[in-house]
Amino acid sequence: MSDTATPARPTRTGLHRPDPTTIMVDGEPVTAHPGESLATALLAAGRRTTGETTSGAGKAPYCNMGVCFECVVTVDGQPFQRSCLIRVRPGLIVQTGPAR
Amino acid sequence: MSNPTDVVVVGAGPAGLAAAATLGRHGARVTVVDEQQRPGGQIYRQPPTGHTRTGRRTEAGRALLAEAAAAPHLDWLPDTVAWGVFGTRAGLDDYAGPAPAPGRLRLGVHTPDGGRTLEPAALVLTAGAYDLPVPFPGWTLPGVLTAGGVQTFLKAQGLLPGRRFVLAGGHPLLLVVAAQLVAAGAHVVEVAFSQHLRTLLPGPRDLAAAVGNAAKLAEGAAALRHLRRARVPVRFGTVIRAAHGDPELDGVVLSRVDAAGLPVPGTERTVACDVLALGYGFVPSTELARQAGCAVAWRPAEGGWIVDHDDWMRTSVPGISVAGELTGVAGAEQAEVEGRLAAYGTLQTLGLLDADRAAALARPVRRILARRRRFAAAVLSRFAPDPAALNALVTDDTVLCRCEEVTAGDIRRALCDHPHLGTANAVKLLTRAGMGLCQGRSCQPAVCRLIAEQTGRSPEQIGAFTAQPPVKPVPLASLAAAARQHDDQG
Repeated sequence: MSDTATPARPTRTGLHRPDPTTIMVDGEPVTAHPGESLATALLAAGRRTTGETTSGAGKAPYCNMGVCFECVVTVDGQPFQRSCLIRVRPGLIVQTGPAR
Repeated sequence: MSNPTDVVVVGAGPAGLAAAATLGRHGARVTVVDEQQRPGGQIYRQPPTGHTRTGRRTEAGRALLAEAAAAPHLDWLPDTVAWGVFGTRAGLDDYAGPAPAPGRLRLGVHTPDGGRTLEPAALVLTAGAYDLPVPFPGWTLPGVLTAGGVQTFLKAQGLLPGRRFVLAGGHPLLLVVAAQLVAAGAHVVEVAFSQHLRTLLPGPRDLAAAVGNAAKLAEGAAALRHLRRARVPVRFGTVIRAAHGDPELDGVVLSRVDAAGLPVPGTERTVACDVLALGYGFVPSTELARQAGCAVAWRPAEGGWIVDHDDWMRTSVPGISVAGELTGVAGAEQAEVEGRLAAYGTLQTLGLLDADRAAALARPVRRILARRRRFAAAVLSRFAPDPAALNALVTDDTVLCRCEEVTAGDIRRALCDHPHLGTANAVKLLTRAGMGLCQGRSCQPAVCRLIAEQTGRSPEQIGAFTAQPPVKPVPLASLAAAARQHDDQG
């Protein structure tokens, strides 16, 4: 099929949203909508991997409802925040990868 | 005492909303605690504040949400984790200071403003359920999600989390999610049901149970028609064997299964996709109830461990009631009805409703409940996953505990080396499975299935990982704040 080669890029659909704002993810600006979940913002920005296991394997949202803790990131210096439960607000500073 | 709450309801899904609204209407002062920003739970999950739907769709659960919003005496604690119940003499009961005032329970919560404790006279636990995690090679890859997780991205966040979707498992939710994905413009490559079609077709007993439950059946049938029209292949007797991709998902291996549900060698085929949604059913979120000391029972067709209760939904622990999926997974309608029943029971305990009035109010609710239970029993028995078939998906290299990266091989070896071991807790201590951030929510079902297969012991003998406070990770500062608040009041 033709579209198997196109890189997967999640897309926003079906909602009217507030005007976008900018958050910082691993030092890079990412456009996101205030109020949407951080997991949504990360996936929509093309970041399918949001963390790393101890052995270095990629981690990403799995249950998307706060149960599995696979999607945890560091938010404004607070480690282990579930990105599926954190809401985007202007100026959020996010660090993916292992918590330090 | 600065806290005037009579009842704390933990969980703002259908059961919690119905319980809270009913309690409030009868004069109880209620605090509703929920991890989400807006009420509704997973099934009636609303879009974020400031977001509205583009279509003219009726919001599911609208009547119940409106009822709860209008009910008097309700105090909402959104974005809040309920992490421990104290004053029940279960386990680490002095964790948050000495016993609460007589007739009171203490609940530790972590709010966006930090930790605090609530001291209600009664608790109604309505924490719901989550997708049953089913391990197989590659299930930890980014791009593999639960069906519920994919549905939440789509319904509540307006996000298609990929382009090409495969849905696999054994629960009717797969059909509903697949149809919603197609309607949103996604390419659904295939829907794979592990069951053979003949085992899913209704028998006479099911048709009897369907009386009065036509809406549920119609929803599944409509989804199936929608998928047929979109030419989405829905295959039965087909299971997920592996997920591939480095570093992220780019394809899955599916294969046929025999009459016993075991994979048939030589029938494997690879399908390209960037999202795999898994839907094998649901596990009741019993951790807070178990931590509080509530007795549980093993009911595999209803999701595993469920919380025991009497016919007013009261658990074995005085002051604590349950409703909804914690009593056995049966869906939103049954959860709502049980929530009302739990409220009538709790109102009697609080002296706000006399027994005759409660019985009269409960009568119509019990009739609906009986009908729902017949339907749930008929459906659940047909879609309950078979342990041997699930174990057949697991190789020695398959990670069971995602947090601590413990494989099935690690656990099999531990059981071989220590033949006297045979409980979930013993295996946890030896292998670290269940010791990570999720506290065993993701791995417990698979770990216990493996122990059962290896040792021949029953699920009751194997038990569950002991639920300890905090039942979800919270910052130490939050625990300290809870203890300080208690000292200040003491």
